[in-house]
Amino acid sequence: MSEKIAIVIPVYNEAGAIGDVIEDVRAHGYTSIVVVDDGSDDDSFYIAAAYDVVALRHKINRGKGAAVKTGIMAANLLDVDVVVTMDGDGQHDPADIAPLIQPILDNTSDVVLGSRLLNKEEMPFVKVIANSFGNFFTWLLYGILVSDSQSGYRAYSRYAALIIDTKADKYEYDSKVIREIKNNRLRYTEVPVQTLYTEYSMQKKNKQGFVNGLITLYRMVWKMIA
Amino acid sequence: MSVHLYQIVVVGIASVMIFQGIKEFAKREAGQTVLKLCVRLLVWGGMALISVYPNFTWYLSKIIGIEDNINAVMVTGFLFVFLIIFKLLSAIEKIEQNISEITRKEALNEAHDRIQKLRLEILELKKKQ
Repeated sequence: MSEKIAIVIPVYNEAGAIGDVIEDVRAHGYTSIVVVDDGSDDDSFYIAAAYDVVALRHKINRGKGAAVKTGIMAANLLDVDVVVTMDGDGQHDPADIAPLIQPILDNTSDVVLGSRLLNKEEMPFVKVIANSFGNFFTWLLYGILVSDSQSGYRAYSRYAALIIDTKADKYEYDSKVIREIKNNRLRYTEVPVQTLYTEYSMQKKNKQGFVNGLITLYRMVWKMIA
Repeated sequence: MSVHLYQIVVVGIASVMIFQGIKEFAKREAGQTVLKLCVRLLVWGGMALISVYPNFTWYLSKIIGIEDNINAVMVTGFLFVFLIIFKLLSAIEKIEQNISEITRKEALNEAHDRIQKLRLEILELKKKQ
């Protein structure tokens, strides 16, 4: 069954984690792995390529959304039935891939959103608040209220992976997918996922902090009028 | 009722912007949504409305609480600055999108052989089942 599923992992300066993430995903039986290096300054790309995965490299940093989109396009070329996107810093547990793809294999959903907030007790309080703001503005601008609009752990059916089209390059990509779900009337569901707050991931600079959150909100609003 | 030059200019610009928005929406171009069209109609339609019916600002000034009307120079200046910023930001946005597209195509081209190899492996596995 694993040949029907492609795992897309966008990375930016994750040389310290990407090897373990690939090994962990493989250990769970998923062999079709696409790693997109988004213009890292470190050796993320070469480390990923050494694991014999489909390693793609953005020559310049274009943002998480752009990297995910590149990965999904590569996965579409592989003719797989399900595309899963997950972070490359080791925060996502590959054990959650199975429950994430199940609604698609059962043909009850086109998009499955991994939700960290359905397991709220694991998440730092500041992140719970920040995510609630993200969910509110995503609902306000795009009309669907989900429990974790900023989660990058998601699964798409082949149809959804082909039809979802957004030009969002940065962190607003995750919210724009919600808009695409609504515009294309895709069936979606949310599945609780675990977040592994490892020493490595906690030491990294917060990628979606308060200031970046405001920038993401500005981008979401700007793209509505421009 | 006399028609002033600024009214023609504002209505002209607003008409072009609204026309472009409706055209892009009708063509179902990527990123064009009903909400985006509504916001465009509201912003540019509002400008046209105020220029054609300046008395409309009286209601606005009552709501906002500012007594005086804005003088013509300020309005013209703000209009041009707003227009230029709007166009500049739109142009930057477009360029950013183009850069991403080029970067993506290059990345996919470079990995073409590896993608094809894995695709064939997946097809083989699917056939065996």
